[in-house]
Amino acid sequence: MTAIGWGLLLGLMLGTASAEVVVVVSSENPVQSLSHAELADIYLGRMHNFPNGESVVPVDQRENSPTHHEFYSRYLGRTPALIKAHWSKLIFSGRGRPPRTVTDDKAVAEFVAGNHHAIGYLTPELVDKRLRVVPIE
Amino acid sequence: MNELAGQGEEKLTPDEGHAGHSRLHRLLEPPILFSGIVLLLLAVIWAVSFNLVARDHLAAERTAAALAMDLADTYEAQVVRALREIDNTLKLVRYSLDTREAQAILDELRTKGLLPPELLFTVNITDANGNVIAGTHSATGENVTALDFFQRSREEDGMVIGAPRHEQSANEWRLTFSRRIADAGQRFAGVVAVSVHAGYFVSVYEEAVLGEHGVLGLVGTDGVFRVRRTGEAITAGTSVDYNALVTRGSADDAPTAVTPNPWDNTRRYTVARELYEFPLAIVVALSEAEQLVPAERIARTYMWRTALGSLLLATVVGLLGRLSWQLQKARTRAMKERVAYARRVEYLAYHDNLTELPNRALFSRLLIHGMQYARRYDKQLALLFLDLDHFKAINDSLGHEAGDELLQELGRRLRESVRESDVVARLGGDEFVILLPEISEDSQVQPVADKILAAVGSPFTLAGQEFRISVSIGIALYPHDGEDEQTLMKNADTAMYYAKERGRNNFQFYFEKLNSDSLERLALESGMRKALQSDEFRLFYQSKHDVRSGRVTGIEALLRWQHPDLGLIAPMLFIPLAEENGLIVPIGRWVFDTALRQNVAWQKEGLPRLSMAVNLTARQFLDDNLVLDIQNALRETGMAPELLELEITEMMIMHDMEVTIRILQELKQMGVRIAIDNFGTGYSSLAKLKGFPLDTLKIDGSFIHDVVSGSEGKSLTQAIIELGKSLGITVVAEGVESKEQVDYLRLHACDQYQGFYINKPMPAQEFADVVREQLQESAQPAPHP
Repeated sequence: MTAIGWGLLLGLMLGTASAEVVVVVSSENPVQSLSHAELADIYLGRMHNFPNGESVVPVDQRENSPTHHEFYSRYLGRTPALIKAHWSKLIFSGRGRPPRTVTDDKAVAEFVAGNHHAIGYLTPELVDKRLRVVPIE
Repeated sequence: MNELAGQGEEKLTPDEGHAGHSRLHRLLEPPILFSGIVLLLLAVIWAVSFNLVARDHLAAERTAAALAMDLADTYEAQVVRALREIDNTLKLVRYSLDTREAQAILDELRTKGLLPPELLFTVNITDANGNVIAGTHSATGENVTALDFFQRSREEDGMVIGAPRHEQSANEWRLTFSRRIADAGQRFAGVVAVSVHAGYFVSVYEEAVLGEHGVLGLVGTDGVFRVRRTGEAITAGTSVDYNALVTRGSADDAPTAVTPNPWDNTRRYTVARELYEFPLAIVVALSEAEQLVPAERIARTYMWRTALGSLLLATVVGLLGRLSWQLQKARTRAMKERVAYARRVEYLAYHDNLTELPNRALFSRLLIHGMQYARRYDKQLALLFLDLDHFKAINDSLGHEAGDELLQELGRRLRESVRESDVVARLGGDEFVILLPEISEDSQVQPVADKILAAVGSPFTLAGQEFRISVSIGIALYPHDGEDEQTLMKNADTAMYYAKERGRNNFQFYFEKLNSDSLERLALESGMRKALQSDEFRLFYQSKHDVRSGRVTGIEALLRWQHPDLGLIAPMLFIPLAEENGLIVPIGRWVFDTALRQNVAWQKEGLPRLSMAVNLTARQFLDDNLVLDIQNALRETGMAPELLELEITEMMIMHDMEVTIRILQELKQMGVRIAIDNFGTGYSSLAKLKGFPLDTLKIDGSFIHDVVSGSEGKSLTQAIIELGKSLGITVVAEGVESKEQVDYLRLHACDQYQGFYINKPMPAQEFADVVREQLQESAQPAPHP
């Protein structure tokens, strides 16, 4: 109870702090949209390609960042604890590696802009012309 | 009776020689056989069930043990790889340290992707004082001097695995792995540490495999659990007896034992294996209860089915047993009924069904048996022959039912007046016999006889009426009065008649003289009494013929006795006796009745009106009721009086002339004819004949016999014929046997004749046939005989 309780409390606090999170790819990436399931699969290490067949490189933010929490609860519907448990198992059993982590939204923007296989999430204020917001349906 | 009972007992005695067989037979009796089969089947079913359960259980145990071992192998490999990865990171970071700032180095390593995923792993670097100088998660400024991994890393050269720490903020246990950093002078310069949440090491806990109560864990060689997971619950920091948990040096393929885990006392298949490279042991355990659940479920199913099967079997066999039991019971009942019926039949065959006393057949056997016994042991026995006095009168006046009741009561009284060992039997009618076996003195019999007389003599109440009867008893003793059954019985019977003679209601012992004297007479007399009842008397008829024309003129009825043993008895053998004892009167009544009835019947059948002659004896003639009896007979049969001819003898009329004349006149007044029979033998005064109202004279056969040969016969016959003519009465010749005699009679104008020449006395039917034939012949103009 306490873990979830704390998580929720933290989430609410951070959620109010951060307005919004959008999923972005490089503007050169032809991907127009993704489903929730596809996005989840990409971030949980179950899918390694975009629907069009191009390989995908997801980029994550630090666990304690407000965007991280917002992203996972909004788009994947999972708490950080669940995400942690998920990756613990995959890493421990040697069956996967979590997305690389960058320090903040800016780093995400830079990373995604510089890699047209990349996908990331960040606050909408930082979306520039090098990036394209992918609607998640 | 005893003899019969004895035989019955013999049949029931079990055959001792076949005891073994009978025991075997008893085992084959349905109830025992069925129970045996059921128990056997139940034993087999349950044995098979238990065996299956035990095998399933064993298989489940083996599977669980093998599974624990497999899981341990996999887990060990995973743990070792994870630890190596961590150690490699430690080594890499330590190796990368140079003169640059530590944080810069870390960042570089991170950027190059050489550090483990930040999501789970935190890398920190401290200086020699425990101050964190660099970290992947910006924890700089923290001091870890107090923490055990730092303390230990200061001393130890290898990778230190710190004690688990509970992190309140994330509510999780964390493990820290560290290595010391040395400066150029090999002095302690700080530590590099990798920390990860303890759950990482038990993240492969699969409930599908380990269940809710399995265990996955790591325990340090110091006995402190670094992490332990059961279901969703993850704990750390608890201590156990390491040596007890981890059996060092045990072969990897040793069977996994079930042990109660010390931390929660749950019995588990526990595999605790120390790692080769690290001061840790992995613990994999499967809950025994959980692992055996399917096997137990199957076992329960087996037991259920077995119980159900047993119940079904018991029910079916129970029903079959019940059926068989009922069948057997029915069979036994039928058998008993049959035996009872056979006994009843045998009983009826040997007992009188009115009084329930032994009957003649059984008595005969008992008597023979008693005689054999008496002969062997040199004893005497007494045979008492009883006959009720005037029983017939009682029977006639009160009816048969009352008579039967009387006999039943009599049977009871007789039974009560003798000892248990004495035999009372009913031979039939009112005849009873009593056998007193084992008589040592003749004098012993007398009190018994007295007792019987008294018992019979006390009043009876029958049909609401009280009256007394008496009994006559004849006693014969064995062996004195007869050494065989027949003689003994006959002599007792004789003695009984003697008792009757002596005034009834008494007993008489048999004595020799009884037999020689009056045996025949007594026997005859006793027989005669019964003869009337049992219809043993017969009437024979002989025809009388006209001498000139040969035509039938009349009939004479002649009495015969058809004795059951002696055959046909001629009247002269029994009539005198009947005269003496007065039986002649009822016999005579019967003769009248029968003869008259017969004559009327013949007339109705078409025979001509013929006279019917009936003989009267002296006693009959003098009987006060003679006239009345004849009147009754005439009235009842409807025969015309003039057709009746009474034949009396010369002697009878000469006895008392005045009385005779009075009787004859009375008879004459009725219209009856009178004939003198056997005339000529009585030397009666011919002159006196004139005084009697006679119609016929019958010349005695002895004179007729002589008419052809002797002169005396001729002259007498001739004289009688003439006398008759002079008196104006019909003369009849008796005993005519030849044509010469008939010729002679015709010559001397005798009126009629009878005799063998024409017809002998014949039974009614034969007589009618013969007469009819003769009538037809004489109707034609045939030469006459």
